Amino acid sequence: MSSDYDVSDDEGEYYEYDDEDEEMVDVEDGSASEIEVDGFGNDFKVGARSDRKIYEVEFTALSQPEVERIMQADIDHISSIFGVEPPTAALLLRHMIWNKEKLIEKYMDNASAVAVAAGVELPPPPKPSSSKAPAPGPQRNSRRSPSAPKSPKGKRASPPAEEPASDVCPICFDDSQTAFLSLLCDHKFCATCWKEYIVSKVRTEAECTVACMGEGCNVAAPDPFVDRALGDDRETWARYQELLVRQFVGCIPHLKFCPYPSCTYTVSCPSAATKSSLAQIVPIVTCGASNTHVFCFGCPIDADHRPVVCAVARMWMKKCQDDSETANWIKSNTKECSKCMSTIEKNGGCNHMTCKKCKYEFCWVCMGPWSEHGTSWYSCNRYDEKASVDARDAQTKSRASLERYLHYYNRWANHEQSAKLSMELYTKTEKKMEEMQVTSELTWIQVQFMKKALDVVHKCRMTLKWTYAMAYYLALGNEKELFEDNQRARPLTCRASRDLERAVEELSELIEAPIDPETIMTLRQKVTDKTVSTAPTHPTPSSPADAVARTQVYVQKRNEIMLEDTAKGYLEGRWSWNMPVEGFDTDSD
Amino acid sequence: MDARLRRVNKEIADCKNDKSSKITIDLVDDSPFHLIGGFDGPEDTPYEGGRFQVDIAIPDNYPFQPVKMKFITKVYHPNVSSASGAICLDILKDAWSPVLTLKSTLISLQSLLCSPEPRDPQDAEVAKHYMTSKSSFEDTARYWTSVYAGGPGGGKNAAGKAGKAAERDEIAMAGLDRAHVAQFEALGFERAKVVRIRCFPAPV
Repeated sequence: MSSDYDVSDDEGEYYEYDDEDEEMVDVEDGSASEIEVDGFGNDFKVGARSDRKIYEVEFTALSQPEVERIMQADIDHISSIFGVEPPTAALLLRHMIWNKEKLIEKYMDNASAVAVAAGVELPPPPKPSSSKAPAPGPQRNSRRSPSAPKSPKGKRASPPAEEPASDVCPICFDDSQTAFLSLLCDHKFCATCWKEYIVSKVRTEAECTVACMGEGCNVAAPDPFVDRALGDDRETWARYQELLVRQFVGCIPHLKFCPYPSCTYTVSCPSAATKSSLAQIVPIVTCGASNTHVFCFGCPIDADHRPVVCAVARMWMKKCQDDSETANWIKSNTKECSKCMSTIEKNGGCNHMTCKKCKYEFCWVCMGPWSEHGTSWYSCNRYDEKASVDARDAQTKSRASLERYLHYYNRWANHEQSAKLSMELYTKTEKKMEEMQVTSELTWIQVQFMKKALDVVHKCRMTLKWTYAMAYYLALGNEKELFEDNQRARPLTCRASRDLERAVEELSELIEAPIDPETIMTLRQKVTDKTVSTAPTHPTPSSPADAVARTQVYVQKRNEIMLEDTAKGYLEGRWSWNMPVEGFDTDSD
Repeated sequence: MDARLRRVNKEIADCKNDKSSKITIDLVDDSPFHLIGGFDGPEDTPYEGGRFQVDIAIPDNYPFQPVKMKFITKVYHPNVSSASGAICLDILKDAWSPVLTLKSTLISLQSLLCSPEPRDPQDAEVAKHYMTSKSSFEDTARYWTSVYAGGPGGGKNAAGKAGKAAERDEIAMAGLDRAHVAQFEALGFERAKVVRIRCFPAPV
């Protein structure tokens, strides 16, 4: 599956606009290092049909069977190197948390130690053997690593050996049980207990490592044994297999499970496997199950948080969730009564305060008792004392920081809210599309542009939303100014200014406008005007569908440029933050 | 018959038949899944002579899930919470095996009293005491045994058993923090009274 889940497939029927841009493409995309640093000169540089954009990461979506195949390949590989049966190889790999290199290294170093630790072989001091002679078993022992010291029992096969009931199962004491199973350690328990034990492990503990039930026995049950012990309980067997896949995915750094509920897909993203890479890229991926399963490979945020890197996005989320800002508000807007410590907000009136609770009279300015102010009522002459000045400074600072935060937070929340509303808009738009088919001569395919436009609006709103989080943390400097210019409208550099925000609002408005034949005409005119003014060279649109589509494509371009520029910024180390961010400290040096 | 019930009944019966180990398992009410176990403090330890009671709860998945145990009798031991009686022992967690029984688990508790594991403590204060001064720790453990578990010596004279340290400070004996007691003393309480009240939160 390709990583190209972007919007480019939407553009088939409105191609004129693109073609024009294509002519400007002079840099092959993906060669990030060669792209100009200049943020304004390279509008529309990247063609819509390119394989991968600079702000996207390469990834593959895998279904559970596909992951199982990868697991199996690893198992077969180890199995052939070590000359052990695949179930044994699987246990060895699981023991070494699927670190193949480490397993090979350790196994070559001391095969039996690894085998004992993984529970595929008995510990060297042989246990007193039971009544049985080394059992007839199995093919696999001959292929065990020759260096491994073998106890008589060690020769036994790991697949279950069924025994005639010689005594009572030491777990259930049920003398009616006849079927006994044991692992290579020969600790025999009845089949019912084995089954209940495995079900309890798998279902209750979500554990996929099943060790022998014997006290202090570390011998692990290989998959065929589990399969056989579970018998007809296929549900638990399926759960067991799922747990194995989850364990595998959890151990491999370049794999991540789709976090959407009950989704079983896995995404492989080798470029984002290391922590340091997360300072340079924002690995947004989708799983194969659905296009709506968009999540970040690098952090637990289940949404597209481009263009902000994971560490900054996390800081922002935490800040928004924390009560710290409430505390900030209290700090900047209230004072405590110096007698009863009640929190007081002064929302008007003079400085002569009387605490509502304890009736203490004091001066709001110096917080001293009012009685000491004597005749200088209403103009505290203690105002200029150093302590008061310091307190005032602290308060101003706190207020400024709060205002700054609120500035960004309000815009962030606004886009989030709008994005939520645009989901509701989908249903409305569908209705409108039907309406359009009736009122105009457009076909069903032709009215699809409405829905596509809405997709674009939604996507862009997400980008915009996160740019505010980014702006909040960006250090004051050229980068920040450039960034904010990018984001908002700036008439002087109209075309190059990437007024994504304004464009999104306009497109959003166009979609929501009521549709009737007359409005279509005015709407078309409006859109044409706007599009002409911003991109004066392109031909006049021929239909309202084109009009919206043009705006949509335009917005899309803005969004792409926005993302590209920020992505490049990360690669070039252009962004610096106003507080320490994970992964950036070392980079900037 | 339910496998869990059969197994627990058998375990209780086995324990009744075995008189030599002096381990008892008694029903709390009609249910065989809530029990009280009892065993003697091991010899040559500060717990010698005491009788220790353990609350036993049998989980639904027993014996595939470990049994839940905690001390009812107060025990001064690094791996037992001096406040709640919670026990830090591997076989009650990951090292549990369905082969283990109530009796064998109680025997394990008994041997836990013999060999404390202060590097993996349940009660950090007690563990610190054990690490810094083992003899003082043993005095306190003995004192607690005599007070809570009906051990020999009785009351404050238990210190006599420690031999050379007959005049041991009663604060350390009670396992209390010296600064803590000093705080109460500063408030005008008699030291002996403070120690006694802190030691006997409820009538014993």
